[in-house]
Amino acid sequence: MGTKKERVHPDCVKAAIVAAAIVAVLSMGFGMARAQGQEVKIGVIYPLSGPVAHAGNMSKDAVSLCADYVNNKWPDLPIPIGNWEGIPGLNGAKIKLIFADHRGEPDRGADLAKKLIIDEKVVGICGCYHSSVTKTVSTVCERHKIPMINPESTSPVLTKRGYQWFFRATPHDRIFVRDFFEFLGLLHQGKVPGVKAVPKSELRTIGACTENTEWGAGTRDVIKEFAKQYGYEIVSDVTYPHESPDLTAEVRRLLAPKPDILMFASYISDAILLTKTMKEFKAKAKVFWSQDVGFYQPKYIETFGNDTEGILNRTVFSKKLFAVKPVAKNINVEFKKRSGVDFMGTSARAFTGMQAWAYVLNEAGSTDPEAIRKTAETIEIPGKDLIVPWKGIKFEDVGGETNQNTWSSGLIVQYQAQEPEIIYPLDVATAKFVYPWPGLK
Amino acid sequence: MEMLVPTIISALLMGMLFALVALGLAIIFGVMNIVNFAHGEFLMVGMYTAFLTATVFSIEPLLTLPIAAMVGFLLGIASYYFLVRYLLKGPMLAQLLGTFGLMIFLRYLAMCIFGPDYKTLEQGVLIGKSIKWGSVVLSYPRLGTAVLSLIAFGIIYWLINRTRLGKALQATALDVEAASYMGIDTERMRGLAWGLGGATMGIAGALLTNFYYVFPTIGILFCMIAFATVALGGFGSIKGAFIAGLIMGLIIDLGGTYIGPHHKFALVYLTYFLVVVFRPQGLFGW
Amino acid sequence: MRTLRDAFSFGDLPLVERIGFAIFIMFCTLFPWVTKGSFDQAVMIQFLIFCLYGLGWNLIGGYGGQVALGQAKNVGMSAYTVALLMVWWDIPFWLSTPLGVVVATIESFVLGYFLFRLRGHYFAIATIAVSLVWQQLFINWDLIGGARGVELPLKETPNFLYMQFASPIYYHYFAFLLVLAAILYMNWFRKSRLGYQLRSITSNEEVAESLGINAHWVKVKAYCITGVFAGMGGAFYTVYYNYIDPFSVMHLELSVMIALMTMIGGAGSMWGPIIGAMILIPLDRYLGAWLGGSGIIGVDFMIYALMVMIISAYEPKGIWGIIEKVRARR
Repeated sequence: MGTKKERVHPDCVKAAIVAAAIVAVLSMGFGMARAQGQEVKIGVIYPLSGPVAHAGNMSKDAVSLCADYVNNKWPDLPIPIGNWEGIPGLNGAKIKLIFADHRGEPDRGADLAKKLIIDEKVVGICGCYHSSVTKTVSTVCERHKIPMINPESTSPVLTKRGYQWFFRATPHDRIFVRDFFEFLGLLHQGKVPGVKAVPKSELRTIGACTENTEWGAGTRDVIKEFAKQYGYEIVSDVTYPHESPDLTAEVRRLLAPKPDILMFASYISDAILLTKTMKEFKAKAKVFWSQDVGFYQPKYIETFGNDTEGILNRTVFSKKLFAVKPVAKNINVEFKKRSGVDFMGTSARAFTGMQAWAYVLNEAGSTDPEAIRKTAETIEIPGKDLIVPWKGIKFEDVGGETNQNTWSSGLIVQYQAQEPEIIYPLDVATAKFVYPWPGLK
Repeated sequence: MEMLVPTIISALLMGMLFALVALGLAIIFGVMNIVNFAHGEFLMVGMYTAFLTATVFSIEPLLTLPIAAMVGFLLGIASYYFLVRYLLKGPMLAQLLGTFGLMIFLRYLAMCIFGPDYKTLEQGVLIGKSIKWGSVVLSYPRLGTAVLSLIAFGIIYWLINRTRLGKALQATALDVEAASYMGIDTERMRGLAWGLGGATMGIAGALLTNFYYVFPTIGILFCMIAFATVALGGFGSIKGAFIAGLIMGLIIDLGGTYIGPHHKFALVYLTYFLVVVFRPQGLFGW
Repeated sequence: MRTLRDAFSFGDLPLVERIGFAIFIMFCTLFPWVTKGSFDQAVMIQFLIFCLYGLGWNLIGGYGGQVALGQAKNVGMSAYTVALLMVWWDIPFWLSTPLGVVVATIESFVLGYFLFRLRGHYFAIATIAVSLVWQQLFINWDLIGGARGVELPLKETPNFLYMQFASPIYYHYFAFLLVLAAILYMNWFRKSRLGYQLRSITSNEEVAESLGINAHWVKVKAYCITGVFAGMGGAFYTVYYNYIDPFSVMHLELSVMIALMTMIGGAGSMWGPIIGAMILIPLDRYLGAWLGGSGIIGVDFMIYALMVMIISAYEPKGIWGIIEKVRARR
């Protein structure tokens, strides 16, 4: 035994020396890489696995694309970030995105936010799709005093908590639902192109069908509030469990009082099943409106084809914008090349959220959290630089809300021949309104 | 009142499917006293099989039934020989959690292979068609599903009660030792029970593809209902599974229509709870 | 006195176990000072929460041999009580927690009374059914926030009364104290009358009954104690994450996770739940964080599932079973 040990010994030493050498070389390599180009890290938290992984991964593609535009030279891009090659305000520092997967669980999201903030030392957080996860993650950011820009969570509560470090770029559900009621008002006045004035007696009753998680429950509250305010009657108010094996009872209850207006908030799985069930019922109503998400995804159009005709969606983005926004078209080409699908509501907002980060960092000229927060509170990003049809991005405190982007606005689009045509606001409308909704046959 | 008749009709149609889903669980439980958490995942595998065969070879979705049944059968047998055989030696806790592991494994294997995309079938004899008389809506895929479920149920019932094989299966269920003295290969019978359980789920999955979306995590929805169904009918009772399936359909649809859709699952589990508290062996259990 | 002595004396345990316990205490005490990684600390706290759940569940599921898969309802019940008391009437954590625990315990008592009339799989599935009923009710109960959940208002400064701190150290030590208390309780429990009664029921219920033990009553008692542990965990979870909804605190997967962890560590043994949590929680969190952003979906779950299947098939007594086997061979 003894001799054997002695014989092995020199080898061990050699192995150790070689290993040490490798480690040394590697760490030198890393050190050099880090020294060469400055980086600014942004933590991105999305549901990358689990039932809504599809949406999460589209958002991931969108924010990665935006970071790519900022970091590299894109001479053809008609907006400033194409020529930046890193963030000019930070001496050309490149944006480095660190992704984390919360799987739709609020507590996992909070833990990952801590990991990103303290361990990875990110300058800020972007995410998180689910309103419930955004809640816990923004709480962590608030406690650690790190800015967070949220591109897409629409629960109205989020900006009502008086948080100083939380900024929301998207319009929220109150704005979207109010837009729809405003649109109905225009319809009554006969101002919508393509339709004569619709008397209020013809469009008076609402059937609301919302899924039963944070987002759907929030939408339901807002629908109730505005229906009362604008003088409509809710005749059926259906909430259903998210991912239900059967939605027959729901659809029956929804359609039984024959509502004039159908309003939905559903994730994609339920949207598919709901539409299939409504098709069995040969559902009819005058107006069919839904809250983006499930009813506004490439998969939905692909599944139902021409049955989508006449369905209204609230959103912030449509392919039809390309006519008025060449920049969106330009970027969409690249996005489609990478992810295989066109920009839709969620991915366009994710892109915009990351763009807001780039502008804020550029103007702040520092990675100090307080400086970033101060900049975010005052920054005004012009709408012409964005792919979404907003006036721009300006985070303001209004009406009990803090740091809500007041320059943002929603669109109402209508599927016509499987294309989302813009109907509202009227000044960017791309098509005439099809009324009434042809129904499902 | 006008909603009552259509509700009952659609409830019974859906109930037949729930019964078929519960049947597999009942057979497995009858033969070897084990509750299978991965049951819903067998359904998911059946759905993916049907979906893939129908789209890749572009054939009528109903014709994929035998293939889905075959895949389900093989999956059931494989689960038995590679996992359940060993689980049976352990306590009930390990059995439950072992099948839970199988469930997670199958679910995320599907997620890994097919990705988190919702898939639907668009082409088929039944798909997307329905007739409507007044307030009664009869959807072809649901009607077809109910009829084929009934046929499948009948075949399995016949197989178990009228054939030698079925008799051997029943003997194994009643007393393993006595059955093995009689020269029955009980190990094979248990494997067979899992195969049959898997096959029924394959069929149910293929039928479901006609009006449902296909996604890796849908198993649990049906699995929970199947649990309640089987326990309500009495574990191991085939007749019980059938009747309890219909009852489940009625509770879900009537409760959903009259009490409120958001309470329908609470009602399902509550009914089950009340029934077992007052009749601990279920409706038809021994 | 006797009770206290029993709780604090670990003298009857083999030396190895005492050393192991000492190492565990040292490790948990020093952990926040040794590590700088906040994710590690978050995982550690998660581990401690699950230790608490598992130690409680071990009473009914391990010592009692009852496959109760509805722990999440007790967790949720207590979490909701604490959160609502804080939001509605601004009642401090230290007052609302006892109330939350009481609510969870009463619920356990009432339902346990009915549930323990069932056996085997009927019992297991009934516990699942009951917890699903509660979850559905909480989702649809608008008064308590429904599906939107309850969010605690954030305090400006660190606040001891409401258990709000920016640094995880406070949470870590509080959770650690809870776990220590739970371990001491379990140490007393296994030597107590109730402990012996429960184990005799597990090994043979008829014999136990013939000896004059009221099996039903003993099981209900054990179930209530399980409810207390889950309630403590739920209350802590609420102040730690500041937000609860019926999906995160009342989910079926939480119930299964608790049972799973205990089984993997070794159900019915003193250290089983802790060993189980030590393996599963870091595995789940680190694998998720490592593979989550990589674009490969599901591999972390598959590794996890394979491990569960292998352990339940080959060593249903869990890691503790393996340790005992090794020890017996010596």
